[in-house]
Amino acid sequence: MNKRLVVTLTATSAAILMAATASKLFAAQPAPASETAPIILIQNATILTISHGTIEHGSILIKDGKIAEIGASVKAPKDAQVIDANGEFVMPGIIDCHSHIAIDGNVNEGSIAVSSIANTADVLNPEDIDIYRDLAGGVTTANILHGSANPIGGQTIVIKLRWGQPASKLPFEGAVPGIKFALGENPKHSNFGGRGTEARYPATRMGVEETIRGAFSEARDYKAKWDDYNKHVNAGEKNLIPPRRDLRLDPLVEVLEGKRYVHSHCYREDEILMLLRVAKEFGFKVRTLQHVLEGYKVADELAAAGVGASTFSDWWSYKEEAWNAIPYNAALMTRRGVVVSINSDDAEEATHLNQEAAKTMKFGGLSHDEALKLVTINPALQLGIDKRVGSIDTGKDADIVIYNRDPLSAYAVVQKTIVDGRVLFDREKDIADRPNLEKEKKALIEKEKKEQKDEKKSDAKPGDKKPEEKPKMQNDAAVVGGAL
Amino acid sequence: MHRVLRRSLSFASAIVSTLAPALAIVSLLSAALPYRAAAQGGEPQSFAIRGATIVPVSGPRIENGTVIVSHGVITAVGKDVNFPQETWVIDGKGLTVYPGLIDSFTDVGLVSPPPPEGGARSSTPPARGPEDRPASTPWRDAAGEATLSDKRIETWRSGGFTTVISAHKGGVFPGQAALLDLGGERNGDLVVKSPVAIPVSLQPPGSFASFPGSLMGTLGYVHQVWIDTEWSGRAESIYDKNPHGMARPRYDRTDSALADALEDKAVVLIPANTTIQIRRSFELVDLWHVPAALYGGQMSYEVAGEIAAKKLPVLVNLKWPEAEKDADPDKGPTLEALRFRDRAPSSPAALAKANVKFAFYSGGATSPKDTLKAAKKAIDAGLGTDAALRALTLSSAEIFGVSDRLGSIDTGKIANLVVADGDIFNEKTKIKYVFVDGRKYTIHEPEKPKDPPKGDLTGKWKLTFASPEGPDEATADISMASDGSLSGTVQSKHGNSSIIDGNLSADKFSFKINLPIEDSPSDVIFSGTFDGKTLKGNIHVASVGVDIDFTGAKPSDKSITSANAEAKVDAGSVR
Amino acid sequence: MKLRLLSRIAIAAGLTLVVTGAAFAQQEPPATIAITHAKIFTLAGAPIDDGVLVIKDGKIAAVGTNVDVPAGAQVIDGKGLQIYPGLFDSVTQMGLSEISAVSATVDTTETGKINPDAVAADAILPSSEHIPVTRAAGITEVLAVPASGGFDSRGSANLFGGQASAIHLAGWTINDMLIKKSVAMVIDWPTIDTESFDFATFSRKQRPYSEAKQEYDKQVDELSDWLENARHYAVAWGHGGPAEYQRDLKLEALVPVIRGELPVLVFASRVREIRSAVEFCDKQKIKMILAGGAESYKVKDLLRSKNIPVILQPTLTEPLDDDDPYDRSMTTAAELANSHVKFAFGSFDNSFARRLGQQAANAVAHGLAYDEALKAVTIYPAQIFGLSDQIGTLENGKIANIIVTNGDPLEITTDVRYLFIKGQLTSTDNKHKALYEKYLNRPKAK
Repeated sequence: MNKRLVVTLTATSAAILMAATASKLFAAQPAPASETAPIILIQNATILTISHGTIEHGSILIKDGKIAEIGASVKAPKDAQVIDANGEFVMPGIIDCHSHIAIDGNVNEGSIAVSSIANTADVLNPEDIDIYRDLAGGVTTANILHGSANPIGGQTIVIKLRWGQPASKLPFEGAVPGIKFALGENPKHSNFGGRGTEARYPATRMGVEETIRGAFSEARDYKAKWDDYNKHVNAGEKNLIPPRRDLRLDPLVEVLEGKRYVHSHCYREDEILMLLRVAKEFGFKVRTLQHVLEGYKVADELAAAGVGASTFSDWWSYKEEAWNAIPYNAALMTRRGVVVSINSDDAEEATHLNQEAAKTMKFGGLSHDEALKLVTINPALQLGIDKRVGSIDTGKDADIVIYNRDPLSAYAVVQKTIVDGRVLFDREKDIADRPNLEKEKKALIEKEKKEQKDEKKSDAKPGDKKPEEKPKMQNDAAVVGGAL
Repeated sequence: MHRVLRRSLSFASAIVSTLAPALAIVSLLSAALPYRAAAQGGEPQSFAIRGATIVPVSGPRIENGTVIVSHGVITAVGKDVNFPQETWVIDGKGLTVYPGLIDSFTDVGLVSPPPPEGGARSSTPPARGPEDRPASTPWRDAAGEATLSDKRIETWRSGGFTTVISAHKGGVFPGQAALLDLGGERNGDLVVKSPVAIPVSLQPPGSFASFPGSLMGTLGYVHQVWIDTEWSGRAESIYDKNPHGMARPRYDRTDSALADALEDKAVVLIPANTTIQIRRSFELVDLWHVPAALYGGQMSYEVAGEIAAKKLPVLVNLKWPEAEKDADPDKGPTLEALRFRDRAPSSPAALAKANVKFAFYSGGATSPKDTLKAAKKAIDAGLGTDAALRALTLSSAEIFGVSDRLGSIDTGKIANLVVADGDIFNEKTKIKYVFVDGRKYTIHEPEKPKDPPKGDLTGKWKLTFASPEGPDEATADISMASDGSLSGTVQSKHGNSSIIDGNLSADKFSFKINLPIEDSPSDVIFSGTFDGKTLKGNIHVASVGVDIDFTGAKPSDKSITSANAEAKVDAGSVR
Repeated sequence: MKLRLLSRIAIAAGLTLVVTGAAFAQQEPPATIAITHAKIFTLAGAPIDDGVLVIKDGKIAAVGTNVDVPAGAQVIDGKGLQIYPGLFDSVTQMGLSEISAVSATVDTTETGKINPDAVAADAILPSSEHIPVTRAAGITEVLAVPASGGFDSRGSANLFGGQASAIHLAGWTINDMLIKKSVAMVIDWPTIDTESFDFATFSRKQRPYSEAKQEYDKQVDELSDWLENARHYAVAWGHGGPAEYQRDLKLEALVPVIRGELPVLVFASRVREIRSAVEFCDKQKIKMILAGGAESYKVKDLLRSKNIPVILQPTLTEPLDDDDPYDRSMTTAAELANSHVKFAFGSFDNSFARRLGQQAANAVAHGLAYDEALKAVTIYPAQIFGLSDQIGTLENGKIANIIVTNGDPLEITTDVRYLFIKGQLTSTDNKHKALYEKYLNRPKAK
């Protein structure tokens, strides 16, 4: 599918609606969760640690799902499973700061301008085949966002791509939950919206700003009501009617209290600065600006506000507000001191974020290490999970990808992806499993066909009186058949 | 139901609009008279079924036993039972007596159309948030609306179902379910208990222009409703204690209805068919703090143990997933879909093994026969026959809190019985009598076609007819047995209706469906001549006695040019 | 920084580069240029180490090791650099679309189903911002294809989409740019879709297969009828012109197709549609090129036996079906190559045209021989579109569409140091670079 189409659709989530129910024909089933993570020693690897340079011919010991030891030579415990990397490249699992995979149903609650009542955490789909495909592209953690149809969208959640685990096991433990905001064309419904439907407020960037301000005014009042109520209750007052809990405003209060991150979709420089002003007015922080394709124009302002920027590698011109998008965006913002990540917004794009990061070396001259950071430690910092993931350091989660060559190359192919010390993608195994799954599928189809045949036979009720003039009936049937 | 379909003038209501005066008379009549002439006069009040095999479900089967029914109640069960002389005796030799079967989730007994949903395409204004209570009518009371005029009552009763848990369909909170016995003189006689359940649907009722249009929005909405329900009750009681000087808490019909139903110990029915949905429902139950049962349950084979650990009862949908009809032959099903179709019928066995309480419901199965056939599939997939029977009787009664009065053949319980000439799960078995509340119904076999059929009607047919608004169409998906009996469905713009009975005898065909016209179901009979290629005849609307000409042809026949009568199906209902 | 370096090299080489925004820089008349000491990948033979390539009058005048630098030639020292034919993007909407969501800037797809008389070249905007951006990725020529995808909000699907034009990615007017005005007739092959997305209601709709099939058959019949009519028209035309016939521009446009002079570029992805298109073209005795071909691997023997080349959909595309292997889109190229089906890569896009090399490299990573990948973005498309006498390799007499790089042109991080179109050194500056420079130099905000 044309990528531009995908972009437009992701905004409206049609892509998700179109996606059939996920199946896993070629996705090897991982070991059940109950098994304890094995002890794994990866040896003879080119280790791109991100935090402390590259270790040639190094080893990594993985124990209890964590990185236990890293070095030039690490002794393998006798029960360790040894992976000889043969000089291949090992890097931390890729973190995708903008993903819509693993969502059951529509990605947008697009009907209302403030849809904070919706929560992606409620609808995680652990069987979405895109989880597996993204794992096969080296992604181990993803920020699962609501769509961009609303100035204030739904609540968001960071997950690990623990393929094979139930939805309840996907959330990244301790990661601060988020909320999606969106500015510009999408919340204005510029490029979509059913014909014949009434225009939804807002329809201008001014209205987008007012929608956000209005919602936070409401949230402030709501919080004041609760504070007042609690004060009276604490003072011993009885028989007070508590304020009505409002699931739309609760997450906004959490934003005001710094307990929930704002991840805002945006494109143009004006709307970016608008949001920073509104945030200042209401006293909350914007954690990341998503897409932020004109971020390069206001990079100093972003750096000063301490806001992260999560952008595309080289997308442009698919809509008006992407007309001034440039592939140098990530490099320019990095140079001005902004913490930058490269994201996917698309299940397919996520499968080669390593390559997308490499483009910043060509466009803007980032170093090899700087480029790698854009898909590892930087998104980890943006999501507040950098203590756990994003680099290869002792004590961190064993979320590791093995590539057959330098991952910043279009020729690099993921060989294995490890999450929490478990190999969840193994290219060799994937290829080896294909015939078996193909066989199973064939067998099931055959079985179903046979059952249908048997059913037809039993419907004919052999005990019943046989119709007379049988040949004639066949003739009639032939006439019907001939007309088909 | 499909908004798109409903919005356009339905095929049935098109017929009705031509007959408004006639209908007015009909409805006048029905207002003046009881629904059905009472034929009670000489009917006996006491029966003894003697010398039969009795399957009480609550205990071991009794060979050569007797059941006594008197004034609607089972008064005795056993091997040696005495009964008074005035008792009507039925010779039970060769017969088996079962408790009346229960369909644990249906809308049989309810015929009024579902409420309009809050979509942009319906006439109601789009919902702008949870406060607009989109697609919610939890005050709709199945007990109050249950009507004997629903033709399906007889169909299901004749198939051995004496009892149903019935609720309206449509919307997130469609209404409150009642437990109905399928018999009686007045509508009120149907109701055994109400409310017994609060069904919830998580199918997004809205769109991109009306809240909620997504699953996550729908879940957020339902979360909010339960919070509001709790809050409203609390606010009201605090206000009642001391209203002086306090702002009056607002009244909300949804909150109030749900609070009342919960007080009446109604069970909240949560949709949970796949593993993902079942596991998600565990979290919903914890979050909502409501007594709950799951419905769907067809992927329980993967998670029966987890359901057992959560101690949740399950209503299992007996409409097993199957290959789509008229699907793209080159676009094969996914492995996951194939696995699901293959293993779904093993879910009941898995639930039984894990000691989960479960009951069966007909789901999309359109006839009692299909429902029992589907239950048989579960037996073939490892479920014990006793367990299968229990899921159609006592387990359901237990889940809905009526096992003190229903669900087994025990002295003192309501006399709901099925008397058959063999094992109820055997396709060849014929049901002879059904007792509902002690009333005896004798079951007659449907008429067989007189002559062998000439040709085969099996396939998809496009039925074209003239309505006052111009040409209209319906689709019939017919399957014909070799003796000429017809089964299948008719899809009109009004929805999907099963063919109740029909046959092709020589070149004469006839089949009957049942459609709600206004709020009264009516038989609609298609009959005419089959020339080997096309159908020609008329549509007879029984309740008003009107005929409309129609023709039918297979759409793949190139001579039919009207290609634009799509059977439009809404996004959500596809899977 | 690299940009400045490039300018310095250019100046050192005695050449003038016009570095104004997104303009291209071509001089008249083209200079005689010699690139020396470079590794030359001619794609017509083995690579030449330390070779010389001479450009004269817009053509390649000499390639080899023992080549004299003509007197007066401008010399570029190619030490450490590599020379390749410029890359060819086989399906784009170049010049036909600027901002895909803004319909006023989009001229890709005409309304109605039958538009054989629509010609891409007639609507190509020479000053499109996409052209210099794409050029910077080493792409020197493209096929501009009407009705070749993109997002048409009106949802109109063409059967005959129009004529694709091959163009150089530089020129003041379309006349400068044209390689060939009419290269192929686009057919957007109908599909049997039982599932569709309805944008008006934002819901997925399903319908019976038999109904979808019926509609499909009707559309195929329609294609067939038009070709039949074109045949009659051609005959009438042959007998003293269209006097007997009223002139019909659409039928006239189809005449070269039925005469076998103009191939059809058939967009189809599922195996059934591909098969039916192949049968159709066979029966109609018209020359077919397959475009898209997501499932072309399933009919590779058929394609080989009928000699039907494939313009393969981007490798960076999600597999069609959930049950497909995760790398399905990556491995198709290798499968086609192994079965000797001729194929080329295309971006099928404008904004992602610059990913062409990346697409090819990803196919190499999944089993395609490197040489094949390189040819699939140079000489193979030239052959497929009947232009190989003019472009596609570095051979004497061919149009000098050439790139000089610091490495593998398919690799993401490689830079194009010099780019020649029709023998003229052409700037790789563009809108993006200009904005980069502008904001790189933004004074620090206070």
